[in-house]
Amino acid sequence: MPDASSAAKASGDPLEEALAQKSALLHEVDHRVKNNLQLIASLILLQSRRTPDEAARAALKSVLERVTAVATVHRRLFQNDPLRFDVADFVRDLTADLAAAAGRDDLDVVLDLDHVAIPAASAAAFALVVNELLGNALKHGFPPGRGGRISVNLADLGRACVLTIADDGVGMGGQPPGFGSTIVKLLCQQLHADLQVSDAQPGVRATVTVPMGETPS
Amino acid sequence: MTAEAPLDVLIVEDEVLLAEELGFLVREAGLHEVGRAMSSAEAVALACQFTPDLALVDVHLKDGPTGVDAARLIVEDCGAVVLFMTANVKRLPADYAGACGVIGKPYSERSVTSALSYLQVCLREGRAPGPPPLGLSLAPRYRELWDGGLAETG
Repeated sequence: MPDASSAAKASGDPLEEALAQKSALLHEVDHRVKNNLQLIASLILLQSRRTPDEAARAALKSVLERVTAVATVHRRLFQNDPLRFDVADFVRDLTADLAAAAGRDDLDVVLDLDHVAIPAASAAAFALVVNELLGNALKHGFPPGRGGRISVNLADLGRACVLTIADDGVGMGGQPPGFGSTIVKLLCQQLHADLQVSDAQPGVRATVTVPMGETPS
Repeated sequence: MTAEAPLDVLIVEDEVLLAEELGFLVREAGLHEVGRAMSSAEAVALACQFTPDLALVDVHLKDGPTGVDAARLIVEDCGAVVLFMTANVKRLPADYAGACGVIGKPYSERSVTSALSYLQVCLREGRAPGPPPLGLSLAPRYRELWDGGLAETG
């Protein structure tokens, strides 16, 4: 199949040729990043399959989930604008994956998502925050036999976007904050986002407000 | 249904660790792995030797971006159904080189096992049990071919 770079060579325009070469290079890097993320996921899974200790396996599984969240970002990157990242599409992918992994047909996950584009540079941080908050609701909100509803809402307020993840499960119940909440707190700092976690009676409501129109480093 | 033998699967992937993990996922989904190939020549030879029902084919193989051509040969000469697994979904030809669909990398292990179980039903019954699971895109020709189940649910 003729690609853009050989087409430019045929046209003989050096500027077009340079541009095509750059774009081919970008694709090559994109391809390698995706493959390497797949390689990391495979390594974790393979090791987990050979780990008899249940606690160690659980730890590997949560590492895998976090790597998968970052991988989901990269699958979505470069699909359209390489510098912007559509949060709604990503949240839809990640939610479906996490809900299917939980294997609970007594949980209703309801999505209400505005299309919000954030800088691609912030995408992985945002993805990990969504992953932790949603994972928390799925894992801790609903013990076996206790069904319910989780709602994921993304609202575009112009100067900020607001992500709300609320469940009607058993609530926080004085659980000590784990590594997951550390990740969320740190990444919200990085995103200059405001994080509110409250008792929704019943359940937990987490709200993340991310300012738009600036590029956090 | 349960008495039927599981589908035979050929894995065409030049990253051995990905192939190894894919082997586990094939088994977990209830299918049967018949072999692994790392280059296009090896892929076509094994496909014609083992006549698998399904070949999972990466686009980038040991001998370069030869997966698309290998897929076409596997479909036409060896009679297997091909599923692409690639980070380069955009570079696939419009006719998918005769393949039934694609899973984009990086994939989650869940999307692979659900796609494999779904395809096992499609291949056995000649129609889809519903819309394809998350992460699996079907080629236009196969969407039409397996349309029965899709029309009911979609």
